[in-house]
Amino acid sequence: MFEYVIFFFFAAVAVIFALVVITNRNPVVGALSLVVSFFALAVMYVLLEAPFLAALQVIVYAGAIMVLFLFVIMLLNLQHQEEPRTRPVQQFLGYTSSAAFGLALIYYLAKFGVTKLPEGPFVSDARMVGIKMFEAYIFPFEMVSILLLAAIVGALLLSGRAGVAKDEETT
Amino acid sequence: MIPTHWFLILSAILFTIGVCGVLTRKNGITIFMCIELMVNAVNLTFVAYARQFHQIHGLLFVFFVMAIAAAEAAVGLAIFISLFHHRHTIDVDEANLMRW
Repeated sequence: MFEYVIFFFFAAVAVIFALVVITNRNPVVGALSLVVSFFALAVMYVLLEAPFLAALQVIVYAGAIMVLFLFVIMLLNLQHQEEPRTRPVQQFLGYTSSAAFGLALIYYLAKFGVTKLPEGPFVSDARMVGIKMFEAYIFPFEMVSILLLAAIVGALLLSGRAGVAKDEETT
Repeated sequence: MIPTHWFLILSAILFTIGVCGVLTRKNGITIFMCIELMVNAVNLTFVAYARQFHQIHGLLFVFFVMAIAAAEAAVGLAIFISLFHHRHTIDVDEANLMRW
């Protein structure tokens, strides 16, 4: 019973703050409410018996990725920029198609989703995750490290001032 | 113990909110945040099924999805910084050329 109270409270928090992200015109408010939504999802991971992933969610998502977003928003000084209104036809099509998509998703989940409870406790602490990762998933793990290196190089190349300096030379 | 389908329905709602944001917003950074929202909804599904079937593979997939979301956020935000330097806006309607 207590678990249900926690689940529905944090589910409501996650959904409400996700709605704030898509309705608020100020990107700083959007980024901060996304952080709250991610914290609520970390609580969901604890309820799903995955405390290691909950810690990872808070550290990596709420800590690292959202700080990157906030840095970029503040670096570009976007708070004062007016976002142009979406055209009414596009807005109508976007809302109706996403609502239809969501209703279809929930309908099929309710119809075909698994309803029986899992039996027995599920051990998924850092030790189990680590053993599995460095035995079965060592090759994807190394691939991810190379991908992150490529992302660092790409980000430096794209955001550097080299292109701007070249433009100033030619003009 | 909470049944798995509650988590799946929450994940579906969050994913739909993300889709709605991507389709209706014009601010590039907000669109990016909606993509992060969709990625998180999928992560929740992975974890829910991992508990349902007692498979730890689902948790490892969440780990990889997080790493790739970090890489994608870094590169995407760098692209928006570059776009802002050239166009002084991050309205995605303005970004209609591959090079300038």
